[in-house]
Amino acid sequence: MMIQCQQVSKSYYKGSTVVTPLQALDLEVPKGEFLALMGPSGSGKTTLLNLLSGIDSPTSGSLIIAGANISTLKQRELTAWRAKHVGYIFQLYHLVPVLTAFENVELPLLLSGLSKAERRERVHTALKLVGLADRHDHTPAELSGGQEQRVAIARAIVADPPLLVADEPTGDLDRDSATRILELLRELGTEQSKTIVMVTHDARAAAAADRTLHLEKGQLLENLQTT
Amino acid sequence: MLPLSYAIRNLLRSKSRLAQTVGGSALVVLLVMAAVAINQGMSRVLSASGSPNNVILLGTGSEESVQRSEVSENTTGIASASIPGIQEILGVRAVSGEIHFMNYISSDDGSRAQALIRGVSPAILHVHPEVRLTQGRFPAAGEVMVGRLAWRNLGLKQDRLKIGTSITLNDQTLRVVGRFAAPGTVMESEIWAAIGDIRVVAQRETISCVVIRLEDPEDFSEVDLFAKQRLDLELSALRESDYYGRLSEFFSPLRAMIWITVSLIALGAVFGGIHTLYAAFASRVREMGTLQAIGFGRTTLLLSLLQESTLACLTGTLLASTLAMLLLDGLTVPFSIGTFSIEINSTVALIGILSGLLLGIIGVIPPAIRCLKPALPTALRS
Repeated sequence: MMIQCQQVSKSYYKGSTVVTPLQALDLEVPKGEFLALMGPSGSGKTTLLNLLSGIDSPTSGSLIIAGANISTLKQRELTAWRAKHVGYIFQLYHLVPVLTAFENVELPLLLSGLSKAERRERVHTALKLVGLADRHDHTPAELSGGQEQRVAIARAIVADPPLLVADEPTGDLDRDSATRILELLRELGTEQSKTIVMVTHDARAAAAADRTLHLEKGQLLENLQTT
Repeated sequence: MLPLSYAIRNLLRSKSRLAQTVGGSALVVLLVMAAVAINQGMSRVLSASGSPNNVILLGTGSEESVQRSEVSENTTGIASASIPGIQEILGVRAVSGEIHFMNYISSDDGSRAQALIRGVSPAILHVHPEVRLTQGRFPAAGEVMVGRLAWRNLGLKQDRLKIGTSITLNDQTLRVVGRFAAPGTVMESEIWAAIGDIRVVAQRETISCVVIRLEDPEDFSEVDLFAKQRLDLELSALRESDYYGRLSEFFSPLRAMIWITVSLIALGAVFGGIHTLYAAFASRVREMGTLQAIGFGRTTLLLSLLQESTLACLTGTLLASTLAMLLLDGLTVPFSIGTFSIEINSTVALIGILSGLLLGIIGVIPPAIRCLKPALPTALRS
């Protein structure tokens, strides 16, 4: 099992009010599954995604990802864990504007201790996989939205993490680009056995996943098998 | 660690911000370098002006100012005959009676300036062996010789004090017949005339002081003993180096003012820089969040932001150092008792570099902390 959430809750203070975006949530995701999370705004989708990717820590409960209980890790340990285990794909790509596509993809590898030659090889492979082998030297400003998202996907997979999390990866793309991105994510799941958790509002995007879960008010509503 | 190229390219994101940071730090570093060089120059000229071998006999109660001092004219002969350990040059004991007189002089073109005039005899060359006659000859009655930097101290054009010109002092016209150098001392800013002429002009029957050059600085006690024993002469003995040391202390409020001014300007520049960086980093909170999400720690990111800031400030330092070398190095600065030259030496350069580094570090820490402080989910949403 890649992901095991047991009674995971998350609450925080907003002024003097306690907000609980996730409440006693149980979830299991097997290795290699492509899971879509849907739900209205404020349902806790992004909070869950942040917890699964080690960007945030749960207030209570146990969160075991790739065999490690990350709910007990300290901030510094969590940062190091993220570098090895998670690739994050953002809705607005979040590429570093002053770096080229090659340099953006190379970023996670700077933490890996690989040699320059090894890094070059892996970046080249990742960019080739997302169909942008000819865009090494382009800065984000010189790429289309779809191309930027593909660079972001290359950045997410270049360090070969077992888990990919995607926060509305097609939310800012036109239909054709969105289709290509979803195909790419599916390929990564099937061909490279990546476990993918994707938050989306788009039912068409969710249809590309193996399974779709609906969240509302911090709790899972239903469990639909889509494939 | 993020590559240095990331820091460099971030610097180039906004040319106007870069220019502001580089320009601001250059201004501060230039001011710091100027302040250090001015302080050094003033201290250097005052300490070089006082030889440890020389002792000044001043009138009791006038130890702070040789110009106010009054010493009986026969003190020169009595001191020469009574004090052991005086240096002899070609059989002549190095004892010089002098009148130090501050007054306005007029040059040929009518320009007036306040000058330090020293009434001297040739014996002055025995007590100040660093004095070199560079042009002309020693003055006789009705003549003067001028220090190499006197024109600068008086705010005159250099040719107004060249040999053959005249100056007017209290209606007495004195012809310039010589020029002298005494590198690094206040004497270079003075005008020297025959002691008899100055006695008349200053309308005094006494002299200001007697300068004695000792073989060994340790013999100061002999001069001190002489001053204490000859109560009739009302003398006080001071090492020349101590006299100029006290003068240096007299100028310490001026030096403090220079530092206060520089500090205030630097503080303004630092706050300006911090403000600029707050604005610049505010737009990068999400980028910092993304890098943290990828796996870069906050310390690594702080170091990268520090790199950016110190790079900009060191560029400013380089600019400031170049300007200092071009505009300040060798510049002569007049002050009340002399002229000193500004020297951009290794100490000044080192202090400039350290100031630049400090600016880079101090300026970046508050905005960097603010940029890196938000919780990661908040940073990614920003």
